[in-house]
Order: sequence, then C-alpha cells, then structure tokens
Amino acid sequence: MIKKVLKLLLIFCLFGFHYAEAQTTVTGTVTDGNSGIPLAGANIIEKGTSNGVSTDFDGNYSITISDQSTTLVISYIGYVTQEVAVNNQTVINVSLVEDASQLEEVVVTALGIKRSTKALGYSLTEVGGEEISTVKTTNAINSLQGKIAGVSISQNATGAAGSSRVIIRGNSSLTGNNQPLYIVDGVPIGNRNNGSAGLWGGSDGGDGISSLNPDDIESINVLKGGAASALYGSRAANGVIIVTTKSGKGQEGLGVEISSSVTFDNVDTSLTDYQTEYGHGIQARKPANIDEARDNGLSSWGARLDGSSVVQWDGESRPYSYVGNNLDHFYRVGTTFINTLALTNSSDKMNYRFSASDLTNEDIMPNAGLNRKTFSLNSSAILADKLTTTVNAKYIIENVQNRPRLSDAPGNANFTVANLPANVDVRTMNPGANEDLTERTYSTNTFSQNPYFAAYNFRNEDTKNRIIANSTLRYDITDWLYALVRGGVDHYTIRRTAVEPFGTAYKPLGGINETEIRYSQIDADFMIGAEKDITDKISTVAVFGANSNSVKTEQLNLGGNDFIVPGLEDIGNTLTQSRSISDFGQRKIGSLYGSVEVSYDNWAYLTFTGRNDWFSTLSAPGKTSPNDDFYPSINTSLILSEVLEMPDFVNFLKLRGGYSEVAGGAQDPYALSLTYEIFGNPVNGQPLGRVNGGTVPNANLVPFSKEETEIGIDARLFNNRLSLDLAYYSNTTTNDIVDVSTSVFSGYNGAKANLGKIENKGFEFLLGFTPIKTEDFTWSASFNGAHNNGKILATNETNSDVNLDEPRSRNVRITHIVGEAYGTIVGVSYERDNNGNIIYEIDGDGVPLAVLGARKILGEGVPPLTLGLSNTFRYKDFSLSFLIDGKFGGQVFSGTNTSLYGNGLHKVTLEGRENGLSVTGIDVDTGNEFTTTVAPENLATYYGRINDIAEEFVEDADYIKFRQLSIGYTFPKSILENIFLKDVNISFIASNLFYLKRSVDNIDPESAYNVGNSQGLEYFGVPSARSYGFNLNVKF
Amino acid sequence: MRNSIYILLIALLSFSACDNGFEELNVNPTKPVQVSVANKLTATQKFMSSERYDNWRANLIYQSTMMQHISTTAGYWSGDKYTWNKGYASSLIDRYYENAVKSIEDVMFQLNAEEAPDEMKAIARIMRVYIYSRLTDLYGDVPYSEAGQAFISGILKPKYDAQSVIYPDLLKELEESAAALGSGTSGFGAADVIYQGDQAKWKRLANSLMLRLGFRLIKVDPSSSQAWVTKAINGGVMQSNDDVFFFPHDDTNNRNGNSEAFDADGNQRLSKTFVDWMQATGDPRLPVLARRNSDESTNPVDLKGLPNGLDSNTLEGATGETSTDAFAEPNITNIGQMNAPMFFQTYAEVEFMLAEANVRWGIGTDAEAHYNAGVTAAMKVLSMYGDGAVISDFDIADYLANNPYDSGNAIEQINNQYWAATFLNEYETFANWRRTGFPVLTPVNYPGNVTNGTIPRRLTYPESDQSNNPENYAAAVAAQGPDELTTRVWWDKQ
Repeated sequence: MIKKVLKLLLIFCLFGFHYAEAQTTVTGTVTDGNSGIPLAGANIIEKGTSNGVSTDFDGNYSITISDQSTTLVISYIGYVTQEVAVNNQTVINVSLVEDASQLEEVVVTALGIKRSTKALGYSLTEVGGEEISTVKTTNAINSLQGKIAGVSISQNATGAAGSSRVIIRGNSSLTGNNQPLYIVDGVPIGNRNNGSAGLWGGSDGGDGISSLNPDDIESINVLKGGAASALYGSRAANGVIIVTTKSGKGQEGLGVEISSSVTFDNVDTSLTDYQTEYGHGIQARKPANIDEARDNGLSSWGARLDGSSVVQWDGESRPYSYVGNNLDHFYRVGTTFINTLALTNSSDKMNYRFSASDLTNEDIMPNAGLNRKTFSLNSSAILADKLTTTVNAKYIIENVQNRPRLSDAPGNANFTVANLPANVDVRTMNPGANEDLTERTYSTNTFSQNPYFAAYNFRNEDTKNRIIANSTLRYDITDWLYALVRGGVDHYTIRRTAVEPFGTAYKPLGGINETEIRYSQIDADFMIGAEKDITDKISTVAVFGANSNSVKTEQLNLGGNDFIVPGLEDIGNTLTQSRSISDFGQRKIGSLYGSVEVSYDNWAYLTFTGRNDWFSTLSAPGKTSPNDDFYPSINTSLILSEVLEMPDFVNFLKLRGGYSEVAGGAQDPYALSLTYEIFGNPVNGQPLGRVNGGTVPNANLVPFSKEETEIGIDARLFNNRLSLDLAYYSNTTTNDIVDVSTSVFSGYNGAKANLGKIENKGFEFLLGFTPIKTEDFTWSASFNGAHNNGKILATNETNSDVNLDEPRSRNVRITHIVGEAYGTIVGVSYERDNNGNIIYEIDGDGVPLAVLGARKILGEGVPPLTLGLSNTFRYKDFSLSFLIDGKFGGQVFSGTNTSLYGNGLHKVTLEGRENGLSVTGIDVDTGNEFTTTVAPENLATYYGRINDIAEEFVEDADYIKFRQLSIGYTFPKSILENIFLKDVNISFIASNLFYLKRSVDNIDPESAYNVGNSQGLEYFGVPSARSYGFNLNVKF
Repeated sequence: MRNSIYILLIALLSFSACDNGFEELNVNPTKPVQVSVANKLTATQKFMSSERYDNWRANLIYQSTMMQHISTTAGYWSGDKYTWNKGYASSLIDRYYENAVKSIEDVMFQLNAEEAPDEMKAIARIMRVYIYSRLTDLYGDVPYSEAGQAFISGILKPKYDAQSVIYPDLLKELEESAAALGSGTSGFGAADVIYQGDQAKWKRLANSLMLRLGFRLIKVDPSSSQAWVTKAINGGVMQSNDDVFFFPHDDTNNRNGNSEAFDADGNQRLSKTFVDWMQATGDPRLPVLARRNSDESTNPVDLKGLPNGLDSNTLEGATGETSTDAFAEPNITNIGQMNAPMFFQTYAEVEFMLAEANVRWGIGTDAEAHYNAGVTAAMKVLSMYGDGAVISDFDIADYLANNPYDSGNAIEQINNQYWAATFLNEYETFANWRRTGFPVLTPVNYPGNVTNGTIPRRLTYPESDQSNNPENYAAAVAAQGPDELTTRVWWDKQ
C-alpha cells in the first residue's frame, strides 16, 4: 500500500515539470500552485506597458518582449499576482498561489448570521454534510467524533438508540448539564436525555439530537468558545452546535436524489480475552448436581475442562468443554438500513427540498432496535421585491423496541452473557421463559437474569413523535439594511411502556410503567442587520435583535405492580397502581442582543457583542434582586499577511483573540419559593399536606457564569498546502449551582447555592495538509488534537467533595475534589505498608485476604487529550478515506473485569489453578512478611476479596481506534449522461474496525453506561460492535 | 432609512418588556403555595408514627432487642449484640427531622402567622413536645430551638440544645398547652385523626405526657420530678383506654411501620426474657403476642423464647436447637397487622405512673388500685389489635389474683408491668428502663460488642452531621460526652 502511494507520488512529481524549447520570445505555462492544474485565461503583462497576452486552455502563453530585462506581471482572479524578472530567460513557468485573503469563505455563526471567516476572532469549525452522510450512524452527532479539535464525543455502551455525550472545551458545571446548545436552521432544539442507567440499572432513553437524519444535514458548525457563542447568552456556556439542513438552493429544475446505506454490526469479540481452560464449578471441581450448578450459576472456579459429562443449570448433562464465545452466540448481526429520497427544485422565485427517510435498525442485542422515519421540507421563496421567506419543517417518528438494560444485573442480558462459564452455552437458555411464562432461571440468584428472558420478555419500548419547524421572513429595507423575523418550534411526545413481566424471578408478579413525556420549545427572533462601508477603508456589520424562548415540559406516569392475569401486560390488570405528574415546568427567557463588527481595510476586524437575558425562573412578585443578566464579548481578527511582509511560504496569517462572558445552568422553574403538596393517600379520609421537596429554595440563585479568553492563529502555508489553526483558551466557571451541605437536623436535605468554580485551560490544533493535489490524484490529510486541563476550584461552602455516581460494585465513585480534575475516580485501594507491600489478613482456612484500604484517587474519568487523524485519497473517480482517533490520559473503572476476577473468568485467574497460587505480602496481625500458597479450591475466596478493591480495576482508558473507513467510487459523467443520471456514488463503509492501541483488557474503553457527568465507569453496557456496509447515492 | 428607524423603534417597543408575564409564569400550577394547616397536622401525626425505615432500625433492631422483648440470631440486628451500626442507630433522627420535625415546625409557623386559636396551637405544641421528647430521650442533646427551620429561618446547620435545656421547655410547653385547652371540639376537627379534635382528650394527654416527662427527671432532679408529677396529676391525666394516644393505620397506604418490618424481615423471635416472664406469671397476653415460628401455634406450652445475643453458630450450644424455627415470634396475625395501631402513650402506662407516684411520694390515692387498673388496661387495650387479641375479664381477674400487687416490691413490679405494656413502643420501654432500672435485664456479651457487655444507654447521631454540621456536632460531643452507645443522656444520671 505505502509503496504504491510512493510510486504514484513520484509519477506526479515528474509530471509537475515541463520542459520547453529555447526561443526569443518568452513562453511558459501558468499553473495552479497547489494542484499543478493549468490556468486558462491568466494575464501576462509586460510591466509598465500595455503589452499583454492571455494563457490558452492549457495554460500556455507566448509573449514577445521588447527588453530582456523587463518584468512580467502574471495575474489571475483569485490568485496572488506575481512579478517575474525575465533576466534573459526564454521559458518562464509560473505557478500562482491562491489568494487566501480573497477567498471570501462565508460561514454561519451565532444566530444564523453569515460571516466571512476572515472576520472571526474565535475558533469555529465547520463539518460538511458529506462527513456525516457517508459513514452514517444512528445518531448523526456521533459522526463528529475525532473530527473537531476540542469536541469530545462519547458514544458509550448505551445501545443503538442510546444517547451521546458531547463536551466542548471541558466540563463547565459540577452537577448541571454540560452538553452544548443545539441550533437547527437558526432555532434551538431540545436535547434532553430521556432516561439513563445508573447504579441500580436502567436503560438509556435516548437524546434529542439523535432525531436528525444524516442525509438532511448540509453542514455542522461548532462554536466552541464563549466568544463564538456569546450571542446566545445564558445558554452558551457549553458551546453551540449549529446544524444547517439541506435546501433546494442551487438545484436546476427538479432533482431527485436517493441515498441508501446498509451496515452490518458484529459484536467485537476481539476485545474480550477470557480464560477458556477451566469451567463451571466451585472449589476446583465441576458441579456435583443441579443444585450446585444453580447455586453457583456464574462461577468459573471449576475443574480443568476435560470433555467429561457435567450437569448444568437445567439438569441436562453436557460435555465439560469450551462452547465457544458466548458473545458470538448471543448477540446477533445488527443491521441498519437508511434510505432517503430527496426531491429538490429551484427557480428564480423559489426553491425547496423535500426528503423522506427511513432508518431501520436491528441492534446486536436480540429483539432490540429502532425505526426512525423523517420527513423534511425546506423551502424558500421570494415573496415580493426585497421580501424573502424560508420555511423548514421536519416530522420525525421514532419507534424504539426494547432499549437494553445496562449496568446492574436485573433485566440486563449483557451481565449474564459476559459472565457465563466457558462450558455453559448461552443458547441453552433460549427460550427465556417456561410455558407458564415464568423465567427459566439458571441461577438461584434471582437477580441474574436469563438473557433471553431479559431480551424477549422484558419490554422497554417507546414511540417519539417530534416536529421541528421554523420559518424566517426577511425584508431588505435597503441594499445595506435588512429586517428579519424568525420563529421556530420543537415539540415532541414520547410514549413509553416498560414491563417487568409476570414470571420474572426477582419480581414474580411483575409490573408495568406507562410514561408520557412531553417537551416543547418555542423560539422567536426579531433582528435588524446592517452592512455598510462607512469610508473606503472602514466598514461595519451590525445586528440588533430581540429573542423570546419558552420551554415547557411534563411527564405523566402510571405505574402498576403485580399482574393479576398472567401475560396480560395492561395497567388495569395490576393489583396496586400509582399515578403522578412529574417534571412539570414552564420557563421563558426574553432577550435583547446586538453585535457590531468594525473592519479596517480588510485586515483588521473588531467585533463586540452583548446580550441581556431576562429569566422567568428568576422572577417573582416583590422580588428585588434582578431577574436579568448581561453577557458581553469582544473579539478581534488581524490578517497579518495583508499588512506585514511575510516569507514566501506564508500565504495567509491571521491572529485572533476574544474575551467573553456567558452563562449556563438551565434554571429550574419554581425554585425561588417554597411550595406545598397534598400527597399520599388520606388517613381516615383526611388529606395529607406537606412542604414540597427537600430542598430549601434559594430566591437569589442565578445561572452560573463562565468567562473565557481565547487566542488563536490561522495560517495557510506553502501554496496553501498546509493550513494550521491553533487555539488557546482559558475559561472559568463561577457561581456554579451546587448543593450546600445541610445538616439533617435542618429538616431539609439540601440547599442550592451559587458556589462552584471550575477552570478549564487548553489548546487545540487543526493541521490540514495536502501533500498531493493534481488533476487526477489528491491526498489530503487532517490532524486535529486538543488538550484540556480541567480543575475544580471550589465545590461548596466548605469545599467538601461532591459525590456523583457509583457503579453497582459500590467500591468506587466519581467525585469532584477541589484541586483535582473534573470527575475523579475515587475507590477502595489496597492497604499497603510503607514499602508498598500489600497487607493481608489470613482467614481461618489460611487464605490471605487483601485488607481493604482507604478510598483514594485512582484516576480521572475524563481523558484530557483527544486526537483525530483523517486521510482522504482521491484518484480519478475513486476515493478512500479513513479516520483514526484516540483519547489519552483518562482512566476507566471496569466493572466487567471486577466481575471476571470474582467469577474466575479473567485470564489472570488461571495461575495457580493446578498447584496453587503463591502469594507474598504482609500479615496484618504480625506486620511480618509471609509467603503462602493459596490452594486451588481457595482461589475463589482469594479473588473474591480482590474483587472489592477498585484499585485493581481502574486502568488507563487510552486508545487509538481505527474509527472509520470509506472507499468510494463516483461514476464518470460520460457514462451517466446516457442513462439520465446526474451523479452516482457508491462506497464501502466501515466503522470501529480495530484498535491500534488499547490499555484496558476485555472492554471497550469507551463504554460507560450513561452519558451523564460521571464518566469513567464501565458496568455491563451493550458491547461494542464493528460495522461495515455500503452506501449508495444516486442523483437524477 | 426612516423606515428602518421606525421598524427599530417598533421592535424595541414590542420587546421592551422582555420579562412580561414572567412572575405569573414562574408560579407552579401543580403545587400550591400553601395548604391548610389541618392537612399538615394530619400528615404530622402520620410522621410521628413514621415509616418502616426507622421503626425497623431504631425501634426493633436496636431497642426491642436491647430491652429483651425481641431476640434474633441475625447478625445485622445490632441491638441484640450491642454492636454498632451507625446508620441504624441514627435512623430515627434521619426520618424524624425531615418529616415530623420539619412538618410540626411548619405547622407552628403557619398557626402563628394565621393567628390561629390558642387551642389549635396547643394541640400542635403537644405533638411537638412528643416529637422532640422521643428524640431527646433516645439521643440526649439534639437540635431543638433551631431544628427543622432551614426554610423558616434559614438555619442550615442547627446547634444542638442540651437536654437539660430542652426538658424544662418541653414541660413548660405542656403546662401552657394544657391551660389553653377547653372542652369543645378543636378547629382541627376530624383532621386530627388521633382525637378527632376532642380538646379534653388533648388536655389529658398534655398532663399524661407531663407525668411521663416529669418522672424522667427522677434521677437528675428528684424534687423537680415530684413537682411536675404532682402538677400533671392535679391537671387531670388519661382516664380510660378511650384516651390512648395512638396513630390509626390502615392496611392499604398508611401501614404500620413495625408491621411492615415484620413482613419484610422474619428474623425476629420473642426474647426468652419476655416469654419466661409471661409464662412465670401465666400471663394471658402470651398467646396474643406470640406464636411458634414453625407452626404458628399459640398454645403457651409451645411458646419458647429465644435467648438474646446468639448467632447461628452459638445457637445450638446455647439452646440445643439447630434453627430458630422452634422459638416464638411476634404473632403477626394480631400485633403485626398492617392496620395495627401505633401506640405513643397508653392509659395503662399512666395508671402505672400514678401507682408509682403514690408509692414514692404519697401523691394521689391507693397504689394497688392504680396497679390493678394499669394491668387491666394493658390487657384490654390489646383488643385494638383486633378480635384475636381480646383478653377476657375473667382471664384478667385470674391474672391479678395470681399476681397481686406487692407493696414490698412495688416499684419493680409496677415497672416490670410498664415494660410489658410498652411492647413494640420500644422508645418508651427503653426510656423507662433507663429511668427505673426495671426490669432487671442480664446483658449479653457478644464477641465484638462495643459496649463492653453492657446494655446501651442511648443511640448515636448521624455520621453525616460530622461533615455537614461539624462545629455544632463537636460542641454537642464536648458537652454530652463521646457519641457512643454507652454515653448517658442528661436525665439518666448514674
């Protein structure tokens, strides 16, 4: 492969040289300095004269000159004009360099304002739709992983319909939301997590951003820092991701586009490496009878597998030998079909794009999957002179079947499958239920579920109906002044049914929960914008506007326990029932904002923005403290390459810097004053009343504020072959909303206050490199990376630790500690003497049991360093691109490995199975060193204690993953012309192919069971899968 | 240009009130800003009975076993072995302060704000006294003057008040409350699910609680104790089982916490101490309170108590039994029903205290009559557990005939009866045992116990307060002594 590339490189280098015969006139070729492609129509003028010619179609020219010492001026629109002294040369080949400063790249910035990239005093990254629609994922935002410096995406082990965690420039809030604000076509959409797994299990309910169809996305712009996002004021603290969906603009006549992709997912068994030599059993022997088999359902502390007959959980005798990888046996080949039909049309008065899309996924988890249908209509029209309108609407219907349970064992198929002994074939447990509907248990531990019962008999399904619509009306008052009104709505309803069926071993009569979640957000802007040259050197771009945003949420819950008629899963068929409305809330933000950019001579730009937000959540009758806050920012961009003498290899150099104050922490409504409630059931007909909630309201609470300073360089070098974008930022969150520690005697279990403080400092780089660019072959590469140094500066009034989640093993927890990074992993350590030797207590059988040491810091859950490298090769009609990404510096606690140690399935536990394990340590009673041999039958006891020591299972989460591969072929136009097709592209796609580096064994380091603030905990999520498939795109 | 200025002006005008309607919007339409104080009173009464959590841990696991009403071989029943489970020990504080205390302080605040009639305040004040007395009796110094007021007065970290300060205030509150009560129906009416607003009953309760708290002072301040007891008796105490202070549970959504614990646990047996005491006297309560675990037999000859302080290893050596199936357990068909009443103070207890007052100080009339009335009431009141728990007048008379008042050993006899009469209200059993030393209990000496083989004298504070309220916690420990099971509360003077 590498050899071939080098060969090609060599050939193209040779083509780059052109030899010409010596003549009296000067001849030569003018080419593009980047690609070597000849430039037709370039002007060659003898300096100071009117003598001039143009290049022909092949870029050749011939000019007769009067003076051998004259100078030729070669110019071409969009390129830097070059002057060449003739100096008796007869052949002068010129390669022109693109004038980066003249390339008016326009990008969408905050509030949908389109701006020249030159003027931006902050970092903004745009990702084209192709990046998202080529290798598609069920949640389109996951396609950004590894592609944008400073944007860390965690897909985690939440299943195909699960949520993603997107963090930009580190976490801003200790316990609040840290995910960015999503703007689709100018208006915000909701991105709430509608359920997640925790300590006691559960499943991921999906998030808001996953509703978008990857084929509808034109571009995604990421406003990373506060300077970029300040115009969103109090909602900007976590950065802003602006999604622009495709329109019919630019289409000539009716266009039809069909995109089809199919991908297959296979559970990645290369991640696991279990011992397969010793089987089910206890005390180094196989189960003697069915009771022993069932009492120790997941114990792999048996004898060496010898092919003899052994009784298993169901009383059947089977060979005592390795049955193959149970992950392979249980998980199926997942499939995802995404089909999109798009119709586009455009005339001089209007254009539209209509698309209908169907995504059908069967998850690798049996009986789980989702179907998402998306209908999208984007249209714009010129209604009258100077009056244009845009109307965009999306309707999304999403059905999810059986969101898999994660984390704790009950209902979690993953738990059992990952822990089964080598000689127990998971397929013997299929079907999961007996004829009388009761669970076919394999263990007397009723909380270890039969995985087929979990997959096929548990229900956890939901339907989401969502409409995202917005409309813009723009009136151009003069050629430099316009007014714009924009309104948008995001409304969805999720109807969910979750059933623990009749017959569930741990809940024999079962139960049902019926839930309806409603969310709506309405957003309206009124804006006036001006763009005017004040003098011939000074110009200004200004926008002033007002915004109103309101959000309403509620959740209706019906619960029923103990089914009466078996198998009838209806709420009316239950003995005890409950009902409630939760999460009810309405809130509004009203805002005024303005942005003024002043530029001087096209090289110096200065932009001020300001936004004032008024909060309903801070409003109450008679309240004297303000219910509003002001968020300013300033940023500047200096195009140094325009004004300073630069070395030849510098084509463009920009220096930028900004300062901003933004805010975050969506304020809960009704939090200012105490409310009451009637609760429970009446006593003797007398209703019960009490204070609502255990939190002391704080009338003075405000959103946290975040200040950020950012500087950066944007450079293009070596004929624009190399581009470099560097950014350094430093931000501080102050007044983060935290729980003040409250004495139990106060009657309340918490009080909120603005006390938290977090600092994030970091740098980002984006290196673009085009080593080869010719007519037929291009190789471009992009390398990005970011390092964020996050630190907790204050937690609350006493700076005590803030405890976040713990996994079911309960020996480790994510904790915020002052002075440490965000989300420290704190867990039970080994007790050691001064020399670091492990201290043991010797039990009655002489087995050394490691003494549980204090909980201490074992790692940090958020990797500080992220890197991404993508390469794209194009040869004629073929393209090949791949993406490699990595995260470094973080750790993960592996619940799977904890369990594998305890159950004797981890390879480490092989040592000593025959002759005993030699253990040396310090005896806690005597303080003396001992060496003893743990007999094979006592290994389970020995490892059972190590099981409790989290230190053993916190490992580096570093990885380098071969994330994406696509090999595409675009059919040549010459072929297509005859068959009415405009464009046909077919690609082979693959994702999550393999790891180039991975530190932790048996698990995917990116497999936290939720996307909340407690990252770094792995506990029996859905295992990772490799995907591969095809993508076909046809345009008529 | 002019157009644009107009548009700009219109825009600014239309948005000038960026917070229009915000104050109304920020009012939760699903939660009221206030509810009737009557509804809160009902809830507070329910909170006094509390829930499974603390009844299981503080009442049953700790106190019922320390008082040798209950015994068990289960290791987590810390009170049976005098081991220390800090979470169990603090469970009453953990539940009471966030429910009963928070609620009664809110009730008082509202009654004062609404300038409610004194009789309503008096009823709330009596309940408040009961709530804090249960807390201070079990833990000693506890937050009182600043407790449960995080919202009302912004105190997130209340100071602990010395029991020597709390007690006089509780007694003063009872005196004033009794004085404020008349004879009609309270403004609370039926919302008072304990006495249905009967002011006279509340007044008698105020004096009965005064009698109880007055007696508590007997070791630390005997003259004051005598004065309060006298005052209480003169004020008029409970007169019959119609006056019993209890919370009425039902078997659907307001279940008795002890019964829920029995339902969920199953490790509890009746203590040998208790069963032997009843068998020795031919007590007709035995088959009502106990049944054999194995076959639910209530025949007294089948009923055998399990010694305290055993575990599954020591069981056989101590009793000859390999399992606890052969021993008596609480007869849940009577006393473990979900709708069982939760007793706070019974008429029987009052009669026993009247007897003791007469013996000690010659207050009132004939101690023997009070003793007989107490025993009778204690047996009769069991009928509130249901038809299976009715003890006949004949059996009572028979019992009294066989176990007549013994003036030579009156204090012990009376308080042994008090011990039997407060079965399952272990808060009161434990307090009265510490006050009187009766019944004389033989401590267990389980390996690893934290009391050096002595019966605990109090339970301990929540660990959380060491980090959430460190200064006040430290001050309390400095004043009262180490936060341990063996530390005595102020009135429990050695």
